[in-house]
Amino acid sequence: MISALDISTSGLVAQRERLTTISQNIANMSSLRDANGRIGPYKAKHVILETDHELATTSGAAGVKVAEVREDNVDPKRRWQPDHPLAIKDGKWKGYVEYPNVDMTEQFVDALEATRAYESNVGVLEMTKNMTNQTLRILA
Amino acid sequence: MESSILNANTVPVLEQVVNFAQKRHSILATNIANQRVPGYKGRDLNVDRFHEVLAEAIQQKNQPNDSLPSGLVSTKQGDPMREVRESLNGILFHDESNLDIEKQVAELTKNQQMHNMALSIMENQFRLLNVAISERL
Repeated sequence: MISALDISTSGLVAQRERLTTISQNIANMSSLRDANGRIGPYKAKHVILETDHELATTSGAAGVKVAEVREDNVDPKRRWQPDHPLAIKDGKWKGYVEYPNVDMTEQFVDALEATRAYESNVGVLEMTKNMTNQTLRILA
Repeated sequence: MESSILNANTVPVLEQVVNFAQKRHSILATNIANQRVPGYKGRDLNVDRFHEVLAEAIQQKNQPNDSLPSGLVSTKQGDPMREVRESLNGILFHDESNLDIEKQVAELTKNQQMHNMALSIMENQFRLLNVAISERL
């Protein structure tokens, strides 16, 4: 029974991580420089989940974990702003400024989905608690 | 003596049901936790097989007061009841996972009901036993 609690918790952690990444994507939708000061538009990140075989029972139940966080590689949005301090100085896109290409619709749909997934894990957690309580009642 | 008191009624059978339901609950919880893992296939324990084995075990109990032979419900490696089958009755999505969340929740609820029912009956049996021991209502 306790392992079921751990498994649902791993699901909660994974979904929260997804939601955090989505908030990061939305917050950075106009960031033109990264945390190290390098110039370049922000790229949306995607959390990739995988089954966690370290958190597994002998009967085949297993948890979930974040496998990696990958960057989107879509082209940035370019806007014609020749007077902008970060405008491209030479080449084909001279005079353009590169902005992050974060698809808001996609992010919001993902956020909604992560929230629902989180909720379903909470639901299972409640069920597990209920079953454990019932089991403990034979002691009373 | 004690073993015959505890084995005379349905307690051993209910114990197996509770055990199975708890194991299955862990596996169904796994499905919910892994719902967004690309390529994850839903898992389940074989309930029908469990019921078959349990029915056989009860049949083997030829006399009403005979104890349930131990080791009948517990299975060996390779028995279909033990196998965590990848349930293939869901929809196959584009990311190759096949989890049908509604179905999973329905299974979880069914499993929970089975678990709680078995425990209620067990509790009742123990209460009767208590009454018999204390000789008053």
